[in-house]
Amino acid sequence: MPRYFIDSSDGARDVEDDSGLELASDRAARSAALDALADMVRDVLPDGDHRIFSVNVRNATGGELYQAKITLEGKWLEPGSEERDSER
Amino acid sequence: MSGFSYLIRALAGRDRLTDNDRALIETLPHRRRSFPKGAQLVVEHSRPTESCLVTGGITAREVFLSDGSRQISAMHVPGDFVDLHAFLLKLMDHSVVALTECEAVFVPHGELLRISEQSPHLTRLFWLSTVIDGAIQRAWIASMGRRSPLSHISHLLCEMYLRLQVAGLVEGDTFDFPISQPDLADMLGLSIVHVSRTLKELRQLNYFTWDGGRVRMLDYKRLAKLADFDPTYLNLIQEPR
Repeated sequence: MPRYFIDSSDGARDVEDDSGLELASDRAARSAALDALADMVRDVLPDGDHRIFSVNVRNATGGELYQAKITLEGKWLEPGSEERDSER
Repeated sequence: MSGFSYLIRALAGRDRLTDNDRALIETLPHRRRSFPKGAQLVVEHSRPTESCLVTGGITAREVFLSDGSRQISAMHVPGDFVDLHAFLLKLMDHSVVALTECEAVFVPHGELLRISEQSPHLTRLFWLSTVIDGAIQRAWIASMGRRSPLSHISHLLCEMYLRLQVAGLVEGDTFDFPISQPDLADMLGLSIVHVSRTLKELRQLNYFTWDGGRVRMLDYKRLAKLADFDPTYLNLIQEPR
């Protein structure tokens, strides 16, 4: 099976994949990358309201194959809501 | 150590065994088998006529979904009577797989029936072992549903450290734990990439090292704190049962 390298970032920590994963196909590599994206989002939310999560798939020869991003844009809708929440 | 000495060790950690208990276990007719990594010791939907006891290596219970994805629902170490379940279940609802090279002894169900009729005490202890399996399952479900990946992996390592200590397989502060990241991912319910990210982060804390399939516990207390680990569920208390 071909080897793929999946770099990932949760907006605070970038991790370059230096060991790689053996996966059946390019599509399997895309799935593995998207699974990672979902895990990262679940893991670090709700730290902050602005964050970009990203994954990047490379093949064994260093070619860039696939990229995906999820952006978090959160905002309080009433002035002072955040302060009121923390007083509860 | 013979296969049964691991079992005796595991049971004796939870209750005092009489000479009669020990003799009944040590004279159980059995056959030994070795399994390469990845082989199934017990196959889903089969009807085993023997129950297996792990005597070397690490095995797991695995459940497959129709899309081919897999969940590992339990890990078993030497001394665990991993397939005591089949004695009563008859038809297996899951498989038991070797996560590393494994050795196991197989005891015919007729012999377990004989023990259940001759020794109420041993019967209760075998019952206890499946109850502890259930307790571990609860802890795993809580980890999977509610812990962060960082504390989930920490929790698992604390658990394995204590369970392998019971089996006498921790030398100093080091134990064999040659579990691959894909297997870990199937155990933790996480993607392989996220397991790898989390392990990198955890390694930087220096609470343990994990190289070449061996874990060295450097700071169990801090790791247990990070994991919010309470070992009550492992029932490591010797008392009359």
